[in-house]
Amino acid sequence: MEFGKELVQQISSHEIFSFSLFGINIPVTDTVIVMWIIMAFLAVFSIIFTRRLKLIPEGRQNIVETIVEFINNFTKDTVGHHWEHFAPYIGTIFIFLIISNCISVFAVIPKGEELYRLTHVEFFRNLPDFSIRPPTKDVNTTMCMAVMSIIMVVYAGIRFKGFPGWIKSFVEPIPVVLPMKITEYLIRILSLSFRLFGNILGAFIIMEIVYFLMPAVIPAGLSIYFDLFDGVLQAFIFVFLTSIYIAEAVE
Amino acid sequence: MNSESLIAIAAGAAVAITGMAAAFGIGAATQKAVESAARQPEAANSILRILVLGASLVEATAVYALIIGLIILFTK
Repeated sequence: MEFGKELVQQISSHEIFSFSLFGINIPVTDTVIVMWIIMAFLAVFSIIFTRRLKLIPEGRQNIVETIVEFINNFTKDTVGHHWEHFAPYIGTIFIFLIISNCISVFAVIPKGEELYRLTHVEFFRNLPDFSIRPPTKDVNTTMCMAVMSIIMVVYAGIRFKGFPGWIKSFVEPIPVVLPMKITEYLIRILSLSFRLFGNILGAFIIMEIVYFLMPAVIPAGLSIYFDLFDGVLQAFIFVFLTSIYIAEAVE
Repeated sequence: MNSESLIAIAAGAAVAITGMAAAFGIGAATQKAVESAARQPEAANSILRILVLGASLVEATAVYALIIGLIILFTK
């Protein structure tokens, strides 16, 4: 029973601090802070790796060109026509999701309270309750990503079919399908967000149970599957489904 | 039998039954994918891509069961 409480503590997001804006209290949870860390890392990485680009690539430019080429080829294969409009968006969410799903490998870094229990240094006790957990285990994050993807799909439909053509696509084979086509957008948001959220949360819970039962050696092997492989696979599936929806809207 | 153990059984059954069905689904999809990849090795890449898509769609049902199980457990 004690472990159950600890597990609930682990999978719910904690409020670190809050600020008020126009009289509304806005809490900042650890999900947001981990996302800020990832965003800062990606921004610095992008700036450092794209400075002084040369025609003939050498050194670090090779790495960036490999990544960009992979994303371009992937988008070209799945989206088809007009892929160059969507490659930046697809690549951005792909890299972001990979890093935020796989960041749970850093979950072994102990919290301040655990460090205090080990070392009895007073400094660690006063640290806020913060540990790195994947931001995609919070349903708010994945719901935001899914809404962004569906906005992108709607934009693709309007941009390449024109507004009348996009409206017409709702009644395309026969007008009876209109309610289904409208609910399809809502169902896509739900299925995209819950698929990512459920998979990451499931892997996270399993890893927490393993850390609790067998703290040594065995988590290392399972972490490769549950943190790295599952994280990359789910990120891939998310962008794959997004690009299929975009391809359907563009056709 | 008190209500707490009933809740535990309900959450477990939700995940177990749906997980069984999803496992059968993914198994059938993988069987066919392996068969067709063995018959046509040059199409293996596109078969893998379709397999990943289908497996993710099947797996989503198991994930929904997990979420429903968590909701049953934590909203008493």
